[in-house]
Amino acid sequence: MSSIAVKGPKDLQKIVIAKGLCSACGACTNLCPYIDMVKGRAVLIEPCGLSEGKCYDFCPRTYVDVPSLDKTIFGSYRKNLAIGSNISIIKARAKDSKIRSSAQYGGVVSALVTYALETGKIDAAVLAKSKDKISAEPTIARNRKEALECAGSKYIVCPTVTGVLEAIKQEKSKIGVVGTSCQITAVRKMQASNFEIEADKIGLLIGLFCTWAVSPKAYGYIKDLVGSAKVIKLDVPPPPANIFVMQTDAKRIEVPLDEVRKFIMPACNVCFDMTNEFADISVGTVEGEEDWNTVIVRTKEGEKILQAAVDAGVIETKPLEKERFDHLCEASLTRKKRVLTETEAEKTAYLTIREEDKSKIVS
Amino acid sequence: MSYVEIDEPGKRVLLMGNEAVARGALEAGVDFCSGYPGNPASEILEALAKAAKKADFYVEWSVNEIVALEVAGAAAFTGLRALTAMKNLGADVCADFLMTTNLSGTRGGFVLVTGDDPSAHSTTSELDTRNYARLAEIPLLEPATTQEAKDMTKWAFDLSQELGVICMVRTVTRLSHSRGVVTLGPIKRDKRSAEFSSQDMWTSGSSNIQCMFHSILHEKLKRAQQKFEESKFNWYVGKENADFIIITSGTGWPYSFEAVKLLGLENEVGILKLGTTWPLPEKLVASHLKHAKEVLFVEETDPFLEQNVKILAAELAAEGVGPITFYGKKSNHIRGEFGAGTGELNVDIAIRALTEVKKVPYPLRGKEYSEKAQKLLSSYVPARSMSFCAGCPHRASFWAIKKAAKWDGRDAIVTGDIGCYSLGMLPTGFSVAKTLHCMGAGIGTANGFGNLKEFGLDKPAIAIAGDSTFYHACMPALVNARWNGSNILLVVLDNNTTAMTGHQPHPGTGVNAMGDSSPRVLIEDICKAVGAEVRVCDPFDQDEAVQNLYEMLQNEGLKVMIFRHECPLAFPKEKKAKVYVDQDKCLSEECGCVKFCTRVFGCPGNIWDYEKGKAKIDEVICNGCGLCAKLCPAGAIIVEEVT
Repeated sequence: MSSIAVKGPKDLQKIVIAKGLCSACGACTNLCPYIDMVKGRAVLIEPCGLSEGKCYDFCPRTYVDVPSLDKTIFGSYRKNLAIGSNISIIKARAKDSKIRSSAQYGGVVSALVTYALETGKIDAAVLAKSKDKISAEPTIARNRKEALECAGSKYIVCPTVTGVLEAIKQEKSKIGVVGTSCQITAVRKMQASNFEIEADKIGLLIGLFCTWAVSPKAYGYIKDLVGSAKVIKLDVPPPPANIFVMQTDAKRIEVPLDEVRKFIMPACNVCFDMTNEFADISVGTVEGEEDWNTVIVRTKEGEKILQAAVDAGVIETKPLEKERFDHLCEASLTRKKRVLTETEAEKTAYLTIREEDKSKIVS
Repeated sequence: MSYVEIDEPGKRVLLMGNEAVARGALEAGVDFCSGYPGNPASEILEALAKAAKKADFYVEWSVNEIVALEVAGAAAFTGLRALTAMKNLGADVCADFLMTTNLSGTRGGFVLVTGDDPSAHSTTSELDTRNYARLAEIPLLEPATTQEAKDMTKWAFDLSQELGVICMVRTVTRLSHSRGVVTLGPIKRDKRSAEFSSQDMWTSGSSNIQCMFHSILHEKLKRAQQKFEESKFNWYVGKENADFIIITSGTGWPYSFEAVKLLGLENEVGILKLGTTWPLPEKLVASHLKHAKEVLFVEETDPFLEQNVKILAAELAAEGVGPITFYGKKSNHIRGEFGAGTGELNVDIAIRALTEVKKVPYPLRGKEYSEKAQKLLSSYVPARSMSFCAGCPHRASFWAIKKAAKWDGRDAIVTGDIGCYSLGMLPTGFSVAKTLHCMGAGIGTANGFGNLKEFGLDKPAIAIAGDSTFYHACMPALVNARWNGSNILLVVLDNNTTAMTGHQPHPGTGVNAMGDSSPRVLIEDICKAVGAEVRVCDPFDQDEAVQNLYEMLQNEGLKVMIFRHECPLAFPKEKKAKVYVDQDKCLSEECGCVKFCTRVFGCPGNIWDYEKGKAKIDEVICNGCGLCAKLCPAGAIIVEEVT
């Protein structure tokens, strides 16, 4: 349990929203009638008058007490300062090639979610859905069909945690969540919170590797490029491609990544968590192997479900090469170092990290 | 049949002041009536509209007061007897025509009735319309009793017809809305025919012609004055040739009479009660000034008599009258809670003035009395702020406006207007509106706010207007916004009635004043014709309402959102939905909403059960709109449609 003081919406406005650090995860909405999520911005409608609020407590940018979360989730402080607590790191992919083709890379997320739903390990999964493969809004999937409709990466922010709160209201138990680092952090903060919101209903957290997301303002930009064509998939291929790819039913459109980077949420620039360190399982790409995912198994629950999926023949795995592992750690650590230095300098520090860890990261 | 219409001369009936005015018009044989609803005058036209079919005369609610005066003016030009009734601020709206038709004159009896609202109980200004009579140089009658309201209105037609000039009758809230015994006269029905010959010419003229008409008006006024000297509506009571006299008019008369009686000053004080207050019956007043050493003026709102009599006294000084000491508003003896010339008169104010001037003791109720009364009262009646009714669509509209403006994030300026939705400035409207003046000023000022970008004010302007207000006063500013490229969003709160003044019809309702069906003039058609982006939405479809408003705020230019939902008081549902709170789902103090339903949303149908510490619905008051259920974050409010 973190010992950091919980404050209210006024402070949320002051230290997060007003500073442009809201990541639009959705953790502060759907709790009360006073905060709405509007095009990637949390908006305070009316002061509720509370000096302590869930909105502040759940927000992944008010404070993140890393050692406290590590202890709560993993039972111990982290040993790997670059990518967080983990049991194993492997490569994996969905065996079903149809899933792979509609999903991003190896399709591990889609395969895991559908497997968990079909075997009753979860009753519902909160996912980001896109009507046109460009925008993203949270949805609650209850079966394979609904889950597969959500396959594929979305680059525009999605207030997924709003969907989690909705699922808590609607579902009796066992909710799975697929989310970015800020979203998963928010869910973990909910579970650790003194506020009672039945967060124990949340059973499985699948985290996506994430380096940034773009604001909904990018929607118009992408839409203009795509025109009347139907988008099949958006993609940021691993470096050094440095491009943003829009695969449509008509053609493949490439633009320099910097064009899209202009729309990056400022909140992403202060994110220290590239590999989704508080998830049960984190999933990302493998550079140079488009058919596979990098998977970090972090908790016992994560390990159990992955093993079950492998045993059921839904997912296949293979070891991750050392060079790739080292490269991932290096990239993650570089980011942490930059973020820690910058947030300290700009007084936007929301992270609590053990002093000994911090000095190791920064040095 | 109402007492207004019964044809039994000599019968004594109880009438509301406004009904008495209507009865006076009936007894005068009125042919043509018009007006625009507004407190405290609305019931005049309503009573006339009810009587119109049987008595065979014409009544219309006009789109606004100047149109009302113009249509009635036309009828009067043709020799018909015409009456126009309006509230005090209506006189502002019709002032343009008034200031010229006074010069053009009239053939038939033409009467303007204004209802003033001292203390501004339901008005945005306690304007004293007697000043318009002086400004327009037209005869003014001020009834003091319900009987006079009837008798003066009747006489005003005769006077107007005889002099050939519009005459004004001024009432105030306390007279318009109180009831008194009235002895009825015969109802007159001379069916007149309207005539307009090729020789007819009705104009105020200009240049020399105008000056000539102006001088004719002065002659008419002189003749009015001569008649006023003999008028039975002016009288003197109390001590003959008293040193101390009260000069009073309107409701000041009963207050003065009572004050003198309560203080036992009948043998010292005389009261000159004037019913014909402009032009001043100077000879009559002079005859009393000659014996007076002290004069106290007791009149509603402005020191109108006070100033006119003082001018007369200055002239009389040369003839050796005086010196006279005057008391009233200038001397601060007749003063309301907020000072002289503000607030309504009452007996206490008259008594206090008399005790101060006459140095006689009278134990007015002390401060302790009112404090004790307040305390006792509060145990029965809790303190409440003004609020929209249960199920009022305006509450839904203002929540949507509040949200859309917050979503937009540019700190939009919301300009309010006149109607039930004037409450948009108060917590019941989430304090959304930031300006409130006269009808149409919402969109007018928004035109300005929306055009101040080059001066560094880059905030969206949102104007609010009701449906009736839209027709009344918003169209010129709407055109102006389009013409001058003002970046505004007009939100029309269309509840299909003129709700605040008592559910009168308007051009969009498809009904006229006499209850006949009429063509509907659609707000969206007008706005589209002007070139605005127009959307129509039910504010109870809250998500859609907010989303649409937000989208429109992002668009440049002139936008009009019509929030359309009928006033539940005017159009009550046959079966209303059953709304209740699932006591298990209401999270009480634990919920992050902090009593949203009762603390912020504030519908009178939402109440808080302090014993259980949970939300509750007052089933008697609830109108079943279900909006609170949509907004409750715990989903604890359940709406069951009753089939």
